[in-house]
Amino acid sequence: MNRQPDDRALATLMRAAQAGDTQAYVLLLKEITPRLRQIVRAQRGFLRIEDIEDVVQDILLSLHVVRATYDARRPFMPWLVAIARHRLADAARRYTRRAAHEVQGESLPVTFSDEGTNLDRGEYRDPEALRQAIMALSPRQRDAVEMLRLREMSLKEAAAASGTSISALKVSVHRAVASLRKALANKP
Amino acid sequence: MTADTEKLIERLAQGVGPVRPLSPPWIRTAAWLLVAIPYVALVVFVVSPRPDLLAKASEWRYLVEQLAALVTGTAAAAAAFGMTIPGYDRRILFLPALPLAVWLGSLGEGCIRDWIQFGPDGLSLQPDWFCFPSIVLVGAVPAIAIAAMLRRGAPLTPHLTTALGGLAAAGLGNFGLRLFHPQDASVMVFVWQVGTVFILTAIAAWAGRYLLNWHSIVGTNRRSVLIR
Repeated sequence: MNRQPDDRALATLMRAAQAGDTQAYVLLLKEITPRLRQIVRAQRGFLRIEDIEDVVQDILLSLHVVRATYDARRPFMPWLVAIARHRLADAARRYTRRAAHEVQGESLPVTFSDEGTNLDRGEYRDPEALRQAIMALSPRQRDAVEMLRLREMSLKEAAAASGTSISALKVSVHRAVASLRKALANKP
Repeated sequence: MTADTEKLIERLAQGVGPVRPLSPPWIRTAAWLLVAIPYVALVVFVVSPRPDLLAKASEWRYLVEQLAALVTGTAAAAAAFGMTIPGYDRRILFLPALPLAVWLGSLGEGCIRDWIQFGPDGLSLQPDWFCFPSIVLVGAVPAIAIAAMLRRGAPLTPHLTTALGGLAAAGLGNFGLRLFHPQDASVMVFVWQVGTVFILTAIAAWAGRYLLNWHSIVGTNRRSVLIR
């Protein structure tokens, strides 16, 4: 098969990565990341920069989990582009679904007139504590939080992905949030 | 490169171990047949082969139908494996089309022949509930084996891939069934046996989203990377 020299270099790195070579893997991922960003930007120019980065990271994770499907006798780029195309399609479906459920509302500057309710508490200040608190959850609760809160999957999607029922997921996420609140409230 | 993406790359690389690349689809199909065929043979042996099997083996029509069912199952398995490889030629999807057409065509031809020979009686349908559970029984291990093998690939087209996997297992199930179930009337085979194969294929297609999805594999991985 006649391959571009660039593709051959990437294929060599991928082969080394499949053999467990960490350096080659880092090099490969760093090499392809700007290309992926370019592909995502070209296909989904309307996305915000952080959303583009999110899709790129999703593609990198996908590549990582299916790296055994790469056959060194075949060109590398078509393999990579096929993964990117499928993940882009998934991201588009997610984006459309989210947009369909979004309600545009006027931003309300205050909640209640009492001053105490209007302090800026929009951002959580200690992500390390939050990470540790999430790690301390039971695997089931961690799954529920990760899927429903961090990845913003719908209940139906999360139930399908985890193989549990919607009501069990609701219970898990409710308990997880209660545990997180309790854990973070104890932090100084 | 943003800091987050750079961190992700480092974390992904930290845990990278050697992986055994998947074999090409036709080799994986052969591996699947190595598991599936002995199981089918075992079931046929346990249930006991039909008494007229030797006589049937010399009937070309029976042979064509059996061979077409077997090749349909095998081709569907190869197509399913091909569909889990990113960048693989998508024309592999059409691989089972020809044997499937031969299978359906030979049964269709049998129905017409029976109609000409026996009139409306040649196309009479009787209940044959034995077919469904038998095909499920014969196809069970091939189905489990192919599902496990498909999950090692990329979930690019979940429904289509599991439909092909279902067709492979059910096709093999039907092949096995006809080795111990003495039912050869074309219309009965068409409705009860091929009908079962299509129902099982449809169920497999529906199950695609549960068996093969990015959310579960990437989600699990993302979590392990983030909490590392």
